[in-house]
Amino acid sequence: VWSNAGVDATDRELMERLVRGEREALSPLMERHHRRVYRIALAYLRNPDDALDVVQETFVKTFEHAARWNPAAEVAPWITRIAVNQSIDRYRRERRRAQTMTPMAEGDHHESLDSGGISPEDAARGTQVKARLDRALRALPERQRAVFVLRHYEERSLEEIADVLGVRLGTVKSSLHRATHELRRRLQGLLA
Amino acid sequence: MNLFHERWRTRVSLLASGCLDGGLREKTLRHLDTCAACRDDHAALLRLLEEVRQDPVREAEPDVALQFLVARVEARLDTALSSPAWRWGWAAASLGIAVLAGALAVRFVPGFVDETRVATTPTAAPVAEVGMDAAALERLERTLAREQAVRYLAEAEDVLVNLRAEARPCPKKHAHVELDAEAERSRELLSRRALLVDLEGNALLPARDVLVDVDNVLREVASLSGCSGRDELERLRREMDERQLLMKVRLLSRELVS
Repeated sequence: VWSNAGVDATDRELMERLVRGEREALSPLMERHHRRVYRIALAYLRNPDDALDVVQETFVKTFEHAARWNPAAEVAPWITRIAVNQSIDRYRRERRRAQTMTPMAEGDHHESLDSGGISPEDAARGTQVKARLDRALRALPERQRAVFVLRHYEERSLEEIADVLGVRLGTVKSSLHRATHELRRRLQGLLA
Repeated sequence: MNLFHERWRTRVSLLASGCLDGGLREKTLRHLDTCAACRDDHAALLRLLEEVRQDPVREAEPDVALQFLVARVEARLDTALSSPAWRWGWAAASLGIAVLAGALAVRFVPGFVDETRVATTPTAAPVAEVGMDAAALERLERTLAREQAVRYLAEAEDVLVNLRAEARPCPKKHAHVELDAEAERSRELLSRRALLVDLEGNALLPARDVLVDVDNVLREVASLSGCSGRDELERLRREMDERQLLMKVRLLSRELVS
């Protein structure tokens, strides 16, 4: 479950206040959810500054689009959906910028992210795995990465992920399967 | 390896991800007993997911206190609500309704279509210059420098807003206030500023004075102890007011963004 009933009731009250335009309700809502949003964004983008920006953008959107929230729905998945969309938007912007700064041949984007040796500073194995995980996750296609992050970092069920991403259950299953195998392929040397 | 076996591979990865239960889980476990390739697959995926479970990102905390994040969101909302874009949004929505009404009139009012239809000629799209020349690179660098300066100013603005806000009394000393979070944040911002914002470069020449003023205030805040006298805080506030620093920071941020 996303949250227990008591907390969810209060979340709902806060959202109802946001719907009425009461900005004071934003601070307690942020207090409850900002860490979770930060971790989702960080797992997705692998960059703390970008993740912090996503946290801010998520709550700006939460306020601006509060009227679109369905009062029958739970609050946490709705905020998660905004956070994932904001993470994807930011990733696209960064990718566009990277492609403009360093023009690459079509189709070599993923390989170029994965190539290159580990720096001497990354000598310790733990750091190596972290660095390789950063690269491997960044190289996954957008949806596969979102599904993987929601499953293995947020520990959401497949049904919840389908709801958050607005896709069918079958799509979530195939995306998760592809993502895990792609990560395994990219991290093979370290996992042996 | 055939299509049938590919289905087992999907099930094996879902099993490793903890997403199978009931009969399908039992069936997949039985398949693992008989298929060495899937067993190896399963073991490798479990190792991968064990690495993921040890990823420090899972326990990461934002390195910015909640109060600063809230202040930054509030500032963004203030900017958004007061921006012409927001007001133009409403105007555009009204215009959209008017256009829709017009389109419906064209579609349903007899005789309206022929009199208003205008012949159009397709125009050639401008040919874009492909490639990266020195001028384009310079523009990109300038944009990047401005973006970094805007981010720095937004974070510095949080500290300044907090200094203006009601101060928390320090429990240790009478007539003192707690400024440890602000001091620590200022120190962190100043160390990052040196790396991110190049005051000597041409890209930020018009912003230099305000950025120097911001640096000076942050330096003073950074030098404060956690429990500082109210008079010190008042002096800082006066200094900010005399220089109209908050207003300048907001104006400069908007100018850099635009």
